[in-house]
Parts: sequence; structure tokens; C-alpha cells
Amino acid sequence: MEKGHRAEYVALMTEVPGEVRRMPQKREVEIKSRQDTLSLITPEIRPWPVSPPPPPEEVKKVYAKRKAEEFGQWLEDNVRFEYGFGKAEALQGFKVLDIGLWRLGHKFAASLLGEAGAEVVCIEPPTGDPLRNLTPFGREEYMLADKETGEKCGLDFISEMVNQYSVTLNVETEEGREVFKTLVRHADVLIDGMLPGYMDGLGIGYRQLKEINPRLVYCWVGLRGSWGPMKDRVSRYGQWELEPFAQCTNAYAHSTGFPQDQLPRGKGGDPTRHGVWLCDYVAGEQAAVNILAALYWRDQFSNEGQFIEMTSAEAMMDIQDFDFAWYGFNASIKSRTGGWDPNLNQYEWNPCRDGYMMIGGQSDRLWYRIGMCIERDYPQFGRLIHEDPFLKEVGARNALHALIKTYTVTTRWLREINRVEAEEKLMDYEIAAGPILYIDEVCEFPHFKYRPWIYTCETDYGTVLYPTTPNCYQMRTPHRAKWLGRRLGKDTYEIYRRWIGLSPSKVDELKGKGAI
Amino acid sequence: MAGEIRPKSQEELEEMKMPYEEYCRKAFAPGNEWSKPEPLKGIRWLSCTMYIFTPHSAANLAELGAEVIKIEIPRMGDAMRHTSPFNEAYLYPLHDTRPMTGTGFGFLGANVNELYLSMDYHIPEMREVFYRLVTMSDGLTELYRPGTFDRWKMSYRTLQNINPRFIYVWGGGFGYGPKVFGGSYDILGQAHAGFASITGMHEHMGGHATKSTNWVIDWASGTLITYGVLAAIHWRRKTGLGTMIEFSQVQTPTRFSGYSVPIYGRFGIVRQRWGNWDTQLCVHGIILCGKSDYPDAKNPQERLEARYAMVSAFQDTDFKELCSIIRRKDLYEKYRTHKDRVEALAQVEIYTALEKWAADKTRSAVVKQLTDAGILASPLMNHRECYEAGHYKARGTLRWLEDPLFGDVLMQSGHSVGMMSKTPRRTNWIWRPVGGDNVKIYRDMLGIPISKVEEWYAKAWI
Repeated sequence: MEKGHRAEYVALMTEVPGEVRRMPQKREVEIKSRQDTLSLITPEIRPWPVSPPPPPEEVKKVYAKRKAEEFGQWLEDNVRFEYGFGKAEALQGFKVLDIGLWRLGHKFAASLLGEAGAEVVCIEPPTGDPLRNLTPFGREEYMLADKETGEKCGLDFISEMVNQYSVTLNVETEEGREVFKTLVRHADVLIDGMLPGYMDGLGIGYRQLKEINPRLVYCWVGLRGSWGPMKDRVSRYGQWELEPFAQCTNAYAHSTGFPQDQLPRGKGGDPTRHGVWLCDYVAGEQAAVNILAALYWRDQFSNEGQFIEMTSAEAMMDIQDFDFAWYGFNASIKSRTGGWDPNLNQYEWNPCRDGYMMIGGQSDRLWYRIGMCIERDYPQFGRLIHEDPFLKEVGARNALHALIKTYTVTTRWLREINRVEAEEKLMDYEIAAGPILYIDEVCEFPHFKYRPWIYTCETDYGTVLYPTTPNCYQMRTPHRAKWLGRRLGKDTYEIYRRWIGLSPSKVDELKGKGAI
Repeated sequence: MAGEIRPKSQEELEEMKMPYEEYCRKAFAPGNEWSKPEPLKGIRWLSCTMYIFTPHSAANLAELGAEVIKIEIPRMGDAMRHTSPFNEAYLYPLHDTRPMTGTGFGFLGANVNELYLSMDYHIPEMREVFYRLVTMSDGLTELYRPGTFDRWKMSYRTLQNINPRFIYVWGGGFGYGPKVFGGSYDILGQAHAGFASITGMHEHMGGHATKSTNWVIDWASGTLITYGVLAAIHWRRKTGLGTMIEFSQVQTPTRFSGYSVPIYGRFGIVRQRWGNWDTQLCVHGIILCGKSDYPDAKNPQERLEARYAMVSAFQDTDFKELCSIIRRKDLYEKYRTHKDRVEALAQVEIYTALEKWAADKTRSAVVKQLTDAGILASPLMNHRECYEAGHYKARGTLRWLEDPLFGDVLMQSGHSVGMMSKTPRRTNWIWRPVGGDNVKIYRDMLGIPISKVEEWYAKAWI
């Protein structure tokens, strides 16, 4: 990539009471190496939040627009985020163990249970989960150091270890397995994120553990399966198979991205993986759902635990709309459609002058409103689109050539204007539309700051900005993040003492033997 | 002693000796779901929902055995019934007054196993019926604009007095706050909350912000609601009290975005798109191969697209082997540690070399050569390949369902959401016509005379 003279643009959406305004700043920076930009991107120059959230009086005016002042107030009084920390926790009293490496699926499931109030203990080998060492582009300067020990940890690990205690245990030793089995006697749930059959091979899989704790809900979370022709693999040299392998083997990546008709192959017109290890998150949340269902059945009906298996590829397959049924219907293989949706018109994002603008509205009512909005600046829209008899029918509008025509003309309008201008114009017509926001704009979005969806947590690694859980707005038992991240083995002594009565000297002895 | 695990019977002894895979197959027994109990039996849920997000939150309960009543607008039904990919896949009829209109595949998967009731909430008489349903149910999910149900005296403010055990979920785009009335869709969540800005090829690679092929935020947010509901049900077992959950789907993608928000907060770094490669691991990405696996296939999705492979060799040993396979040992010498090769410019060089090596090969040749050498690689599979792969079929995750009304449908949902050894999920039917269970609910459950039901039906109140 070229180096040299380049201008850096910083566009922020900021809130001035009552209106949304764009504040462009332009800086001339001589970039010879990344060292030159590092000093410019610190929070000292752009601290969060750049501007304060909108005040409650402004929000009251919004409620009043639809005569919902009283209801809006009732809502805020009852489900406001800030009150959450003073309310009860739904899963108080449930004990959860999580053992696993590398992947986010089992970690996310454990985080969700922790956010709802369960006591979650994350078990790592004495060397730690390798996920702790991952950092974007290998840059150690973006890892955080524990305030007491200076131990560094990657941000993915810190942000996916919500409300979890950290203990070390080597289950590959005889003593380690004894400790593990004693822990399991006290657990309601065990989440297993190890390789297929690993725990079973050590004599601590479901079929062995159910003998010592028949009430145990045991949930394995993996990539494609612990059994079956395409079960999870390791390389000859012991490397784990990780996301995005799940996205690649369930047709998600095949049908995500831009088609070669829109961008040249090899230069953007290719099947595309998601930016994050998405299938892991989907598997993690469904694992948490199945675990709670299993606990309900145990406590309400049977007093028995059970064995669950959840995989990233299949959990995502479950929610790939109708794609496989469509293949079964007429042998269709869903193609890529870039930023467009093949089922709805309009329902897409397209480029505008400073980024991308998303527009949605399919029913006649919304479809014509979008058209009226565009026509105001660009009269040809009415002639080309509204007067096309083919496009008048709701269903017919979804045909491919109809999408191409509609979006070509829409983009002709968008290319003249910025995201904020497009949003303002579309909001006048009450269209569900919005710009594609970059992460800094997400963190500064007035509504997100008001709720807040972005919040700070004073962790062992210093203050961390993090996204709150969507389940934290509840009347009685909102979920919440109390801490994030934990240095390796921080709670080893406390948990072993409290759960299974091991004295500190016994723990030290086991440590000496390499068992803890 | 905690360590002593002894089988208690001959059967258990055999079970203990079984190979692990065989044990799993026996424990989960795909196809045998109906011989086992449903975990949420006895829970009754009202689904006053449309589209995908909120319906999925209720269907998720229905797959686990809850009785879910889907309430739709008379005759028209859920807006999603009127959507279908490129307008080509419908099942008939939508409603008995409209035999020539079908329900589109856009509706699929989000409302399985439910009972279908139609009701116009605007009619005061209907509201009384709605209250009766509330007394007899455990909770509801609704998606109307904030304040709408309140205006109709159907919000939690009212319903908690009718049924203190009631669990009430509002699911929408934004929730209380300055954008409280903002409408939302899946795609708005993807666009607004950060997902789009970190997905797709970097602009240096020629790419644009990319949308997930599916309505992933609708579905994933729906699942988080189900999770919230189940946690609330556990709390209610202790206290007898219901609750209200206010859930905004636009928040979900931000929660799923890993290190993106923390790295911005601490260092001011705005995460960008990184295409088919991984920001934290290398080699761990998708490469383009020179030749298609199906050069003569009629379908362009096979002929043109069967050219991509996922390759992963980030450990030193694996990377060394990979470099030797592609005859670029110099790359291994240059990037001996993972920290070296995961740097952006190193990634550009390494993936370019990989694609150059693959330029005269088919996708399957690339995957075979790497796999034979013990390196992890997979083709990017399409829907036909997934269907024919055998893995999902053997596990029962992709299976044909004989729907009682609509016949054979290839289903991917329900059975794929995790296997449970004692209380598995199941799919009984995909959907029913609008109001298909009106008699069952109005007369058989609420005891309303059939003549009354017919009268309401004629007036299009139901």
C-alpha cells in the first residue's frame, strides 16, 4: 500500500440539541510509517464521548410528538439502564463452568449466562487460552495490561469474558481431573468448548460426569459437530479449525458479498466472510437458550440434566432465511447480491457521496413515500420508476431487473448528496433509513449514548469502552456487565476454596505438580 | 471419592465402552425427537409480531415445545408472507378468501409450530378477547411503535394488573430515547450499528461495505429475546412475578463486534473492513483458485463460483508446511513468527503468493493437496453441496419435512439449533394460513360460540 502524503478526514455525527449536524475536520499529515499517525488517534485528541448525550428535556419533546409523554416517562422509570445495577439478577444461584480454547461460541454462551446473574467460572489451562494473545495485526500496543501484574491480554478476550471468574486447571493431569470432577458436583451447567471427544477421552465427558452429577446440563459448543462426516478437525500439527470455517461450509460465505456483475472478481466481486467470527456468536446465544430450556425442564419436571451439542455452522444455517428450502423448492442456489436484498424493494444500501446510505420500505405506502422524497430533488425518478407499470405491483418489484432499475435510479440521486443530507431528507418522509456508520460514529450516535448502548467499565485492565447487552433494559431482572476480562487465574484460590474447600497450601501443592 | 465412575447396569457398561461418536449419535438420535418430551411444555406465549425479528423470538420457544399463538391482521396477515426471493417461491393459499395468493418463502422458519389466530386489536370487543388470552398465557412479544399498545390499553402498564405473572416483551429498533419512534429493519441494524463498516473487502481491495446474505440481525436479536424470556421465566419460578423486557435490535450488532468498540475507546482506532482475511490470524483466509470445480455446469452459481477455498495455517508448523507446499520457503524465512505474518502488509504478500500458486488449479485440487499434507482447508460450499455433503443429513440438521398442509419442504431450521439428548427441538409444521386456528382458539380455548366467531369473521374483525 502506498505511503506518503495523505489527508485524513474525520467526520463525526454530533448532536446539537434538536438537530444532527456534521462536523468535518481535515488534517494534513505526513505519513511515512504508522508511527506518524499513532499520536493522532489517541482518545486525548478525541475522547469519548466527544459530545454529551442529549438531555432528557429534549427526549421528552420527542415523546410528546406522538402524545406518548406519559408512557415514555413510565418506560424510562421502569427499564432505564442506570437503574439496572440496583435490581435483582434472574439467574442468581446457578453455577456454570466453562472450559474451552480459541473459540468465541462457548465464551459468548458463558458471558450471556454471566450477564443474567449466574456465577460463571472460566477454566483455562495453566498456559491460558491462546485467544488471550490475539490482537489485530499482531500489535501488542493494542493489548491491555493488568493493573497489578502487567500481564497483557487481547481485546477480543477481554470483551468476551463478561462477569466470569478465571481459574487455571490442567485436566490432562490425574489430580487436575479429580479437582474438575469435584467442581462438577457443584455445577448446574458445564459448557465444553474443547475439541470433539477431548473431554470424553479424558474420562470427564458427559457420559462420565452424569454419573457424579445427574442434574448437570452439559453443552458442547463447536464448529460443525463432534460427530459426523465433517466434524471439527485439527491439522496434522495440532492447529484448531476456527471460524470463519463455519461460514464457509454452510453456504453463508457463498451467498454473501458482491456478485461479479457489480464488481470485478478478485477485486471485491467475490464470496465474502463476515468481519467477525459471526457464526460463533450465533451458536453461543442459541447454546445459552438451550441451556436455560434444559434447566427449566430439569427444575420444573424431571430433576435430570442432559447433553447438548451446538455448532456454529448449524446455528447459522438455522437462520439463513429460506435458503435451503429454496434449493429444495426449485434447485435455486442463492447468489450474492451485495448491499441489496433479493426479497424486498426497496431494501438495500447503495453508495452516496461520503459513504453508503441504507433505505428500506417495501409496502406501497412506504415505496411511494421514498419515491416522493427522491422526486423532490430528482424529478426523473417519478417518470422512470413510479410510471413503470411493472413496478407498480408489490411482488413484481422484487424481480432482479426491477431491483437493478430501482437502485440505479436511486443511486443516481444518492451520489450527489452526503449521508447526513440523505438521512434528513428521508426522515422528513418517515422512512426507515440510515447511513452506514463507522465504529467511531456508532460510539457517538446520540441515541446510542443516551440509552447507553456504549458504556464504560472500570476493569482490571483500566477503563474499557464496551457495548452493553441488549437484554439490559428490563423491569425486574435486567442483564448487566459488572466486569470484563480477568487475568489468568485471578480467582484460582478463591474459587477452589469456596466451591470445593481446597486450602491455599493445597492449591500451591497442586500448582507445583502442574495440575493447577 | 469423586473420581470413581462405575456403570450401574449392563446397558451403562456398554454405553461407556462405545466409541464417542457412536455414543453421540445414540444420545441425540436424529429423527427420534418425538419419542422424547418437550422442555417448555405448558408455556403459552402470544406472538403479536411481524417480519422476522420478533416472530423468531417466539418461534424459538415453539421449537422447544411452548404453545405459541401467532396473532395476525385479518386476511392480510404478516407482511413477510408477501415476500419471496425474486418473487418466485410461494405456497398456497394465504387465506381461504384468497386462494390465488400464496405465502412467500420470506415467511419461512420464523413462525414454525405456532397456532394462527387473526384479530383486529382496534375493535373494542376484540380487546376483551385479547385480555382473556392474556390471563391464560405466560407472556407476549409485540413489535408496535412504542406507545401504540399503551394507547390501546394493551401495554404492560395495563396487563400486569390482569396477570402479575405475565412476561411482556417489546422488540423494536431503538427503544426509549431520542430515536424512540425510529422504524427499523434488519438491514438498518447491520448498517447503523457497525457491522457493515467492518464487513467486506477493504477499499484498497476494491470492495464496498457488505451485507450479510441473511437477515442475521433480525434472527440473532430474536434469539437474544428468547434468552431474556427464559431467564425471566427462571426468575418467575422463584418469585411468581412477571416482567417487561424492552429490546432494541439495532444494539445487537454492536454487542457482536468483538474488539471494535474497546479498541476505539482506548486507542481511537476505527476498525475497518479486512475482506476475506482475518485481522488477528494469518494464514486464515479465503483464496481465489484459478479453475472452477464444475466448468460445464449449467448453473452459473456452480460454473463460475466454485473457485474459492478457505485456508488456515497460522501456527508456525502449519505455516512452514504451507510455504513448502506452495514452494515459497522464503516466505516462511521472512515471516517466521505469527506476529510478523499477521501484519497487514505481510498478509497482502502471503495471500498474493497463495493465490498465485492456486492460479492454475481447481478449488478441489487446492483443498485436496493441502488437506493431504495435513493443513486445514475447505471449499466454500454452496447450498447444493451442503445438502449433498451427508454431514448435515446424517445429523438431521437438513431434512425434508412433510408439512401437514403444504407437503414436502426442505427444512434447515429447528433441528439445526443444537441437539438435546433428552428434550430435543422439533419442527411440526412450517406455518398455516392466516387465521388457520381461529376456531381452535376462539371456540375450543375461549369458549366463544361458533356463530359469534362466524359473525366476527364476516365483519373481518378476525
